[in-house]
Amino acid sequence: MVFVHGFGCDQRMWRLVAPAFKARYRVVLLDLVGSGRSDLTAYDPLRYNSLAAHAEDVLAVIHELGLENVVFVGHSVSAMIGVLAANREPSRFACLVLVAPSPRYINDEAYVGGFEQTDIEELLEAMDDNYLGWSGGITPVIMGHPDRPELAAELNNSFCSSDPTIARHFARVTFLSDNRADLPRLHMPALILQCAHDVIAPLAVGTYLHRHLPESELIVLDTSGHCPHLSVPRATIAAIDHFLRTGVSS
Amino acid sequence: MSEPEDELLPELDLRLTQENLEDLYEHAPCGYCTCLPDGTLVKLNHTLLTWLGYEVQELVARKCLQELFTIGGRLHYEMHCAPLLLLQDQVREISYTLRRKDGSTLPVLMNAVLLRDIDKQPLAVRITLFDITDRRKYEQELLRAKVQAEEQSKQLARANELLVTKNEQLTRINSDLDSFVYTASHDLKQPVTNMAGLFQELKRTATFHDPDAAGMMSMFEEALQQILGTIEGLTEVVQQQRELEQVSVDVVELRPFTEDIIRSLHPSEHEAGFTLDFSAVPRLRMARPSLHSMLYNLLSNALKYASPDRRPQVRVSTAQGDKEVIISVQDNGRGIDLARHGSELFQLFRRFHPEVVGSGMGLYLVNRLVHQAGGRVEVESEVSSGTTFHIFLPQ
Repeated sequence: MVFVHGFGCDQRMWRLVAPAFKARYRVVLLDLVGSGRSDLTAYDPLRYNSLAAHAEDVLAVIHELGLENVVFVGHSVSAMIGVLAANREPSRFACLVLVAPSPRYINDEAYVGGFEQTDIEELLEAMDDNYLGWSGGITPVIMGHPDRPELAAELNNSFCSSDPTIARHFARVTFLSDNRADLPRLHMPALILQCAHDVIAPLAVGTYLHRHLPESELIVLDTSGHCPHLSVPRATIAAIDHFLRTGVSS
Repeated sequence: MSEPEDELLPELDLRLTQENLEDLYEHAPCGYCTCLPDGTLVKLNHTLLTWLGYEVQELVARKCLQELFTIGGRLHYEMHCAPLLLLQDQVREISYTLRRKDGSTLPVLMNAVLLRDIDKQPLAVRITLFDITDRRKYEQELLRAKVQAEEQSKQLARANELLVTKNEQLTRINSDLDSFVYTASHDLKQPVTNMAGLFQELKRTATFHDPDAAGMMSMFEEALQQILGTIEGLTEVVQQQRELEQVSVDVVELRPFTEDIIRSLHPSEHEAGFTLDFSAVPRLRMARPSLHSMLYNLLSNALKYASPDRRPQVRVSTAQGDKEVIISVQDNGRGIDLARHGSELFQLFRRFHPEVVGSGMGLYLVNRLVHQAGGRVEVESEVSSGTTFHIFLPQ
């Protein structure tokens, strides 16, 4: 069972959910390159200009660990990274769990993504405003002093802090991506975990995904926000558990 | 004398110690609010309501905290701040922009703590907001300055790169020139030596009837010797350069070192007098061969260009400068007209006393060696009264 975090956080966001599956599955947590405690110097903006590069990284981890029958659990942008990886090498995957997924964030004619292009520009601006306060360029200092872990402990928002330049680039790649064409190509069971009130991936997006993913199941969790695995971890675990026991014919 | 405890406490208005907590909450110099875990507002203080321009009933249970932010801030809250709160129960110093009821904006800094019930389930979020209108301006200026500094540093890097390339080019050209000089001198040497041998043979076997022949013969021989001398000098320049690249720096005791050189010049043949004064700086850190070459050339020049009218007197001395040592070689020879020749003094093959035999190599070599050692050469001279060379060497 491979868990991949979404934009703006790292693998530690799974800590209320992942342990529940340790008894039955081999649980693998990873940080996407450019996030968490990954090697930030490996983040080449040219290579990571599309989500495909992250999908390749996920496949590389699966190969390295020799994983078969993978249950892929991806949050937010990583849900789509999972779809891309599974389309490329379906034989490795058993099923996908897509937590608060969205194939495209920006409205497009009849398609409702929830955002206009200008909204995304505003987000990038807000990230710049938080350059001094949010990630504050402190992370690179820690990355440069692996021998001084106490520096990390002093951080205000030590979880999910990231290099501002990388975060900005990753945000652009994430929010300008359009993976709608990749959906019908997925031929394996997929669970869509939709929050009832989610600004980032609204209900309309969840139902769109359900219509276009051939073997998908849609579960709407009664919670607000974009992180059901943090706000309602128990309901999240129950939904995944139910899907794995009934939805996956294996 | 009064003891410290006898001193009176500053007078306090006792009414202030009874601070009204309700009033403090409502009119604190910062915005307070409380939300449900999903952001739904349940309580706001008067300060915050005044900032926003809303009535309390327009907000409580009707709007979320996130909805008071600009859209960018709202996205940021959902993606970063909300998960962070659930993970670590608090966030600090997050920068957002509030949108007032009238559409205008107010930059704030937010601190928040998550309260949990006895089952550890999220119960409420307490939020403090600080007006940072001025700070935001400073931050934006900082960011602008940073972008500017980065641009300048890029330009510098580019300029530096260009310099490095130029430097590499020059180094290459320099070494090509050395190779050229070496090859040329080597290739010239053989035929000229052959000419000298042939000429000796010719002199021995041929008979000339022209009365001027004898004079022409000796002029020809002189010219041959001069060419050979020049070629040897050229070879020496290149060899010195090659040797220097390997030679290490030594501490050289100047008096015995200079005395050796003087001996090799056979001063008695010139009836020359030498004065050595190394009291100021008795020893130097320097590559031995280049110091030898410098002094040898200057001293032999002092003898070579001695005035025919007087006994040569040469004085060699040292002095301590600010960050350098000065070696001076002073003679009472013919002198050089610096006004006329100063700029060409150190050029290869330049000669200023055609009546004296020489190759035009010595000063070129001295200057080159001094420059390689990071120093410089200065000259004082007066025609018919003498010349002084000062070598400045960094120490």
